[in-house]
Amino acid sequence: MAIIQTVDLTKKFGNFTAVDHLNLSIEEGEIFGLLGPNGAGKTTTLLMLVTVIKPTKGTAYVDGYDITREPDKARRLIGMAFQDPKLMWVVTPWDVLNWHAKVCGLSSLERKKRVKWALTELGLWENRHKSVHTFSGGMRKRVEIAKILIQRPKIAIVDEPTTQIDIVGKHRIWNMIRTLRDEGSTIILATNELYEADLLSDRVAIMHKGKLLVCDSPKKLKDSIVGGDLIEVILEKEAPKTLIEELEKIDKIVEVLVLKPNHLRIYLNRAEEILPQITEFFIKTHLPIQSIRMSEPSLDDVFAHYTGLTIEEAEKR
Amino acid sequence: MAQIALFGLIANRMVKEAVQIEAGGNYFHFYAAGIVITLLYSMAVFISYDIYEEADHGVIEYLLSLPISRRELVLGRAIGGGLRSFLYVAPLMLIVLLMIGITNPFRILIAFAALFLFAFGVSGMSITIAVSIKSHDRFDILLGALNAFIVRLSTTMYPVAFMPEQYATLAQFNPLTFAADIFRWGAGLEASLLANPFLSVLGILMFFSVFTFLGIIFYERQLEGGGWR
Repeated sequence: MAIIQTVDLTKKFGNFTAVDHLNLSIEEGEIFGLLGPNGAGKTTTLLMLVTVIKPTKGTAYVDGYDITREPDKARRLIGMAFQDPKLMWVVTPWDVLNWHAKVCGLSSLERKKRVKWALTELGLWENRHKSVHTFSGGMRKRVEIAKILIQRPKIAIVDEPTTQIDIVGKHRIWNMIRTLRDEGSTIILATNELYEADLLSDRVAIMHKGKLLVCDSPKKLKDSIVGGDLIEVILEKEAPKTLIEELEKIDKIVEVLVLKPNHLRIYLNRAEEILPQITEFFIKTHLPIQSIRMSEPSLDDVFAHYTGLTIEEAEKR
Repeated sequence: MAQIALFGLIANRMVKEAVQIEAGGNYFHFYAAGIVITLLYSMAVFISYDIYEEADHGVIEYLLSLPISRRELVLGRAIGGGLRSFLYVAPLMLIVLLMIGITNPFRILIAFAALFLFAFGVSGMSITIAVSIKSHDRFDILLGALNAFIVRLSTTMYPVAFMPEQYATLAQFNPLTFAADIFRWGAGLEASLLANPFLSVLGILMFFSVFTFLGIIFYERQLEGGGWR
C-alpha cells in the first residue's frame, strides 16, 4: 500500500523549476532512496512532503492526507532529519533532543529514555552537556539524526544522513535507519552517495533537473542496463576465434572483447545467473581458467546510463 | 542601568515643582516606572530579530517541520516573546516597586497581568511588522523610527499635562501610555494617571487582541506561502 503518493508535484522558484511534475509512489515499510546530484530537486521534494513549502502545482498524499489541504495532519506523521543540522537556541545535545522530543509529544519518562538511548547509540553520551557549537560537522550531523530516532515517526525522512561522518559512524547510522524501518517506519533516504542508496534502499528513484528519471529496486535498475554486467576471464592458453563466436551465442551475453589472446572481457546481463554456464562452457572446451572476475554495474552506472553524465558531471552543470 | 538611574536622579532635581506634582509628587518614581515600561516594550519587540535569525540560519525549516499546527507555532512564538521579555524585565520591575513601595498587592497582580498582555501584544505587533517587511535592514530602520515616536509620544517619560496639545492627544491612544498608567496605578502612583486605570486595561486588551490576531494571520500566511524564503 502506498503511504506517499505524489501527483504532478511541481515547485517553481520564479522561472526556475526545482521539481517538475513528479509522480512517485512510496510503499509503507520500505526504505525508499531518492537519488540525484546536488540541485536535482530532492530536498525541495522532501520539504514539500513535510509541508515546509507549498507546491506550485500538483500535490502529494501522505497516508491519504493531501499536503495542500490537510497539511497539519500530514505533518504529524512525518519527521525529518535535515541535510544541514538545525540546532537552535538551546546549546547542548541533551537540550536540543529533549526539546525536540517534548514538541513531538513524548512523555517525560519516555523522553529521557529515548534521548539517552539515541545519544549513547550515536556516541554522543559523553558530550551530552557540551555546547553543540563546539562540535565537529559530523557530531552535529549525528545530533540531527538523533532527532528522528527519538521521534520514531510513521514516515522518517533523512536527507544526506551520513555526509561528514566517518565510516564507523556511517555504519552505526545505517544500522539505526534499518532498525527504524524494522520498527515500522517508512524511510525516505535522500542522498547523492550511491553506495549508501544501494546498500539501504528497497527501491530507488533517480532525479535529475527536477524530473524523475527512473524508479525501481537497485537490482532491477542495474539489470536494466543492457550488457551492464561484466565478467573477465583469463585462460591458461589462447582462445580460438571459433570459441568466441560460440560464447557469444549464450543467452544474455551481449558482447565478448578479446583484450589479449587469453584474456576475454564479456559484457552481459544477470552475470550471477550466467556465470555457471560460462565456466561449464570453458570446462567442456578443455580451456582451463586461470582467473575469473565478475562485476555488476553500480548506481553510478545507472545514473550515467539514463543521463549520459556521471553524478560529478551533473553537479557541475 | 546605573547611567539610567543617574539620569533619572538628575532629571528629578531639574524638573519644576509643578511637574513633580503632575508626576504624582516624585518625578523620579514616575520616571522609574516609565523606564520599566520602555524596557518591557523594547524586549518584546526583540522577538522579530529571532524570527529573522531563524530564517537566516534555516532553523525556520526545522520549526515548520515539527508535528504541530502553524497556529500553535505562531502562538508559541508570540507567547514566548511576551513571556521572555516579561521575565527579563521582572527583576527591574521588582526593584522599582520596592523603591516606590507596594501599597496594594492585589493591584500589582492586576497590573502584572495587564503588562503581560501588553508584552504579548508588542510581540504580536513586532511579528506583524517583521513578516510584512521581510527585509532585516528595512525592519531595523522602521523599528528605530517607530520606537522614537511610540516612546516619545507616550507618558512613559513626561506627564501629559506638559506635552504640546497634539502630542498629548496622540499619547492618549498610545499602548505605552496604557502600560505606563497601569503599572503606576499598580505601584500606587495614582496622581500621575492619565485616565481611569480600567480604561488603560481595556486599551491594553484591545492592543493585545488586535496585534496578536494580526501577528498570527500575517505570520501564518507568510509561512504557508513560503514567504520566509
